[in-house]
Amino acid sequence: MTSAEKLQALQHDVDFFVGATEHTPLATLPNWGSLAVLLVILHCETQHGLVISSADIHGCKTVGDLLKLLPERL
Amino acid sequence: MHSSITNVRLAGLAVSTGSLTRDFMADGLALGLDRVILERTAQTIGLRERKVAAPGITALDLCEDASRRLLDAAGLDASSIDAVIFVTQTPDHSQPNNASLLHGRLGLATGAAAFDLSLGCSGWVYGLQQAALLCAHGGAARVLLCAGDTLSRLTHAKDRSTDPLFGDAGSAALIERTGLATAWHFELGADGAGANAIIVPQGGARMPHDSKPLTEIPDLDGNVRHAANLAMQGGEVFNFSLRQAPPAVAAVMRHAHYTVEATDGLVLHQANRFVITTVGRKCGFPAEKTPSDVVERYGNQSSASIPCALIHAFAEPLSARSLRLVLCGFGVGWSWGAVAAEFGPLVIAPTQPYPHSA
Repeated sequence: MTSAEKLQALQHDVDFFVGATEHTPLATLPNWGSLAVLLVILHCETQHGLVISSADIHGCKTVGDLLKLLPERL
Repeated sequence: MHSSITNVRLAGLAVSTGSLTRDFMADGLALGLDRVILERTAQTIGLRERKVAAPGITALDLCEDASRRLLDAAGLDASSIDAVIFVTQTPDHSQPNNASLLHGRLGLATGAAAFDLSLGCSGWVYGLQQAALLCAHGGAARVLLCAGDTLSRLTHAKDRSTDPLFGDAGSAALIERTGLATAWHFELGADGAGANAIIVPQGGARMPHDSKPLTEIPDLDGNVRHAANLAMQGGEVFNFSLRQAPPAVAAVMRHAHYTVEATDGLVLHQANRFVITTVGRKCGFPAEKTPSDVVERYGNQSSASIPCALIHAFAEPLSARSLRLVLCGFGVGWSWGAVAAEFGPLVIAPTQPYPHSA
């Protein structure tokens, strides 16, 4: 799964990411906050079987950093 | 830890809620928050309104009211109770415990045992297991299980990760020894590694009330709280719930030989609709068998949420007949408890706010 595909899947589940690119800083996403973090956790769990913590997400500066947490394969 | 307990039945249920209504949108707008974000959060998480206790009303008061209404509905005298268990994290005092105070208020016999369990959202299932043990093996014929909290008092108004979530309530349940051989199957567990994920740091023996000033500190998401407020790491708690609740549910269903199809309902701790629907789906239950709307009326009622959901979703059939139900609570500690059992028919006193309106 490429980064573009991961981003597309993320945008499908979490519309906070619509219009974002890998280089977009998370802090600049409109309405980025605890609700978005929760939806990202759910996306990771349901789509990737991956448990990530809110600390993991808060450690990411850009959308690309976040995508790197996700596995290459579904 | 698994246990199967026979010769017990659930004889009655009642819940008393706080009497004041708090509206999620109105509260958020009063804080100057964005309407679009509020609406989106309300829709996604399932936050609408909640019932909080009036000033001066505690979990003890709410549980006393529920107990009195339940005993009245069942036509029982308080002297017939052999033990009272009180599940709470918001007791009236650090000493004595709430169970002893309730024992005195209800006028229970001096031979009746009274003790507290310090647990939150998993507490009703833990308490049910202890009550069942007392009936099956501890010499009790009838146990009063009370569970409730006033967590709304512990949150900071500017902490949006906790303040909009919690309602206040107290529940009462009667558990009795019977000749029934049908087993209640329990799974209880804990993971102390998550103890800091839901915590009120200040106010206990480790950090007494007067040990340091209550300084308001913002977190990464802009929420504000001080050390005597309830702090919750929402993402970690969500992950914990997804990790521990489904295996516990699967384990009790396996022991009980229940299938999803043959089970009348899965009643989860009513944290919020988002958590309930996600955990319920992971447990393999369809939405129509997993009540999730009670929390939008009352808020997260901690240990009282499961009995409140049972009454809200199943009062009519439970009053008339036996249902195969799976219950699961999970939260502070971290701790979790699940039970698969046939409950009913039983006496149910309708859920009411306390103090009662004129």
